[in-house]
This record gives sequence, structure tokens and C-alpha cells, in this order.
Amino acid sequence: MQINYAKKEVSCKLVYYGPGMSGKTTNLEVVHQKVPDHNKGEMTSIATEGDRTLFFDFLPLDLGKIRGMTTKFQLYTVPGQVYYASTRKLVLQGSDGVIFVADSNADKIEENIESLKDLENNLKEYGVKIDELPVVIQWNKRDLPNALPVEELEKAINWLNAATTEAVAATGEGVLPTLKLAASLILERLNSKEPGAPTSAKAKVAEPKEKKEVYVANINADKISRSYFNQYCQIQYRLATKSNDVEDFKKFSTEEKKKLLDSLINYVLLLQDSKARGIQADKDHVETQVKSFGRKFKSQEELDDYLGRRRLTLDNLRNEATRNVIIGMVIKNVLPNIDQRLKISSKEVAEYYESHKGAYGDKTYDQVKSSVVGRIKATRKKELLQEFFMKLREKSTIEIFDSNI
Amino acid sequence: MKDEKLRQRRLVYYKEDIDQIDKLLDEFIKLSGSVAIFLIDKDGHLVTQKGTAPSIHPETLSALVAGSFAATKEMARMLGESEFSVMFHQGKKENIHISLVGERAMTATVFDTQTTAGMVNLYSKELMTKLEVIFNIASKREAKEHSLQSGYSDSVKDKLEDMFKE
Repeated sequence: MQINYAKKEVSCKLVYYGPGMSGKTTNLEVVHQKVPDHNKGEMTSIATEGDRTLFFDFLPLDLGKIRGMTTKFQLYTVPGQVYYASTRKLVLQGSDGVIFVADSNADKIEENIESLKDLENNLKEYGVKIDELPVVIQWNKRDLPNALPVEELEKAINWLNAATTEAVAATGEGVLPTLKLAASLILERLNSKEPGAPTSAKAKVAEPKEKKEVYVANINADKISRSYFNQYCQIQYRLATKSNDVEDFKKFSTEEKKKLLDSLINYVLLLQDSKARGIQADKDHVETQVKSFGRKFKSQEELDDYLGRRRLTLDNLRNEATRNVIIGMVIKNVLPNIDQRLKISSKEVAEYYESHKGAYGDKTYDQVKSSVVGRIKATRKKELLQEFFMKLREKSTIEIFDSNI
Repeated sequence: MKDEKLRQRRLVYYKEDIDQIDKLLDEFIKLSGSVAIFLIDKDGHLVTQKGTAPSIHPETLSALVAGSFAATKEMARMLGESEFSVMFHQGKKENIHISLVGERAMTATVFDTQTTAGMVNLYSKELMTKLEVIFNIASKREAKEHSLQSGYSDSVKDKLEDMFKE
């Protein structure tokens, strides 16, 4: 913290910490979006090509003059990936408080613990004990179907007894309450003369946990909340649309929404099935798929432009790719003879060509053969996918609450 | 020990120090022919600035300079140096010269074709020596009771509440 009596200015440094992909940059983006223009500077990101934070993201907030002092908060995020340990430590230097963004995903519990320990160690190297610094833990991604209950997260991760909040940073929920809480903990320290005084922990904010969640479907043991469903619709819309109006999805008709819910249910079933089988998407495989999508664009700028206009991130593409990869892996277990069924005989090709001859104009059979094969294959794949999801549904209990859509 | 900790964690700059520093920075700009100079502490907070570089957002520059300085320090360590005291970024028209001031701060000087890197380097060495003297005296001075008006924290909280109304 800097108190500058010449400039009449107080400047605090607040760092978002946490494991990779837990939503630190998303938090900052939401703050940037929601804070009035005259209170914020530009957001700066030092990121890799894949849009992962490399060094830090930075957002200055200016609260204006308060009791004669211009008051500023400098918000930073650190890169989450384990291998950026040294840059993470650099950003932490001189921090007045930390927001630890934890991923509620049941599979991420170890990563959360590891990251919090890493924070503790890095602070120690600067001579700061973690319990002497204002720390707020944000349970993020509360909307995930496999999010752990807060009580379990508390037990496993919050050994500091730090203040906590709940959030769905991707939709903006809970982001500002978390920042407000962290800021007020830092300010409370200003009142105490000794900077090392322990922070008042467990000052829980009322928002947003009191909001009652509405569910659109139950799938076996998992529930799909309306907010998660809406987010899904929004992303699917952005992925498919040619329009630049990203809010268009709100115009979806009930029928369209029902179709989307169907596809989301398929997705959840797929995740449940792959989890039960211990199948995980291979990361390289996913990246290859994402890259092949990227190749549709002439340049990196064009891809960035495409994503930017739709407010999509590479992570959205990754999720889509992950689903495709998992389908590829699970489908072999559910439909064992799939390779055989995807084989197309020359007789079939010839028959298709004969019955669709009109559509091919005066092109010869040899000229169109490969495109015919492609068409038949696509239809066949679609049928197989339908059969695949039917099989998954047969052994599942699915409840849909139409009225909540 | 407590005072030491306080100084380490809470940087307090008083008017008499900043006035002196500002004078030195003004003089430096004139002598070296630079466009602007920013004094930045190692945590990335801007302390003071002189000259005008309209395209630069001072807070963002401060964060980036402190960050890149910290990263350079890691490079220095690999070579067995404790840190590099000078960094220089050369552009087509404008350049940035970064120099370490003692343990706690650094300056970032923006200059263009009106002068040369050699001139900036020369005068900044002199400036560093003078700044270090001021910093040393300031750090040895008894920490004053900080005199933020009572109720400051609460007022900030109210302001936050207001700003973050959803």
C-alpha cells in the first residue's frame, strides 16, 4: 500500500490468486465491465497466444477523492498454471490483500489445495504470514453440475478460516461482492496501526447465496440450474450464430430452448458415463481439435476478431472440443461395432449417386464419389450419435421441468 | 522490527520528500531532453511523475515497469547478479529507460529523438545518486503517525458500495 501525502493519494494492491482456469481473469473482466467508466482505467493483459495469463492482468480502479485522499485499487491476477511459479511470486510482491479464486469442480480439489499452499509459501518468502494478510476465498463455478457443496470445500480447503464468497464469475454473479469484501478487509487494516494485526475472518457476505436456485432438469444425481442452462444456450448461440448481436439468444423460442436442453442433457449424460468409465479427454487431442478450428481463419487476428465479436474465449472452444473427444472415446464402449458400421460399401455409394443424380448435374460418378462418401458418412454418424444418446438415456433417470425453462 | 515491517509493507511518502524529488525530476527532464519521467515503487505504485506523455496511462505503466523489473531481476539472478540496475527499451521514435533507485523504487524515463540514450543514461546516473540520498533520509526518519482522517475507511466502503451497485 502506498500513502502519498504529496499527491494526497492512497493506493492499494489486490491480487487474484488461484489454480489455472479457476476464473481469475474472468473475475477481472467482470469488474472491468461493471464498474462505471470514470472509475476505471484500461485493462492490460500479458497473455499467451492461447489467451492464458502469462505474467499478469492489470486493472486500475479509481474511487475518486474520499475525505481528501484520492483512493485507488490496483487489481492484478497471477498466472495459475503450476509452471509459472516464479512470475506468480513476482506479482504478489507488496500485495495488500488476496482474493483466492477456487474452482468448485469436484475434480479440482487437489489443484486448489496446491495453489493455496503455493500462495502461503510465496508470501512467506516476502516475509508475510498468510494469516496476517486479508484473504478472501471465492468458491467459483457454483453452477457446475459436479460442483462440490460449499461445506465440503470449506472442510478441504479453507484451513485458514478465511472469509468466503460464492460466485459464477462467467455470468458475473458474486464477482463484485467478493471484491467489495476483500477491499473492506484491507481498509479495516488501515484503521489498525499495526499492519500485522489478524484480519477479521468469516465475514460472509449475504449475497448471492440467498438467491434460490431454479432447476430445469434432473439427470440421475446431477441437477441443471437455470443459470447454467442459460449460459449454455448463450454459448451455443454464440458458437453457431453469424450475427454480431450476442444477446440474440434471448429471442430463442421455447421450442429452440427445449432442443438445446436436450443437447445439454446429452452432454451431462456423456460426462456421467465417461466419468463412470474413468475416461478423460486427452489434452493434446483437444488442442488439436481447437487448432483445426482455428485453421478455418486466415490469420490469428481474424480468429481473435471472430471470438471477440461473439464474446467467446478459447476455453469455450476447448469445451466443445472436449465434448467431441469424449464422444469419440465413449461411443466405442456403448456401440462396440461402430468402426464396422461406419464403413461404407461402394454399392451404397453407387445407390446414393443414382438416387441423387439430379443434384450433381453433369458431373461423372468418379468426380463426385468422395463427396458422396462424405455425405453418407455424415448421415451415418448422426444416426449413430442418436442411437448412442438413446442408449445412454435408456439407463438414466431424467426429469425435465419445462415450466422453468 | 515493527517499524521496519510497517515501512516495508506500507509505503508512506510525505510532501516535503516529494517536493524535493519533483524538483530533481524537473531538472533532469530539462538537462537530459527527455519527454517524461515516472518514479515508481517496486510494488507497482506510481509515486510521482514529471513531464507529459499523453499516450501513457501512468498506473498501467507503473504496473508493467515494476513487473518487468521483477522479471529482469530473476534473469540477473541466473547470471549471479543481484539485479540489473538499468533497462532500456528502444523503439522507432520513442524509448523507455528504466533505472533502479536504491532498494525500493525505480524511474521510467520516456524520451524521443530530441535526445540520445547516452545523454539520458548519463543524467539518470546523477539523478539516482541524488534520489537515493533523499530516500535514505526519509527511511531513517521516525515514521509519523499517519493522519488519514478518521472515518476514511468507512467512507471508502460507502463509496465502494455505491460504485458496485448492481
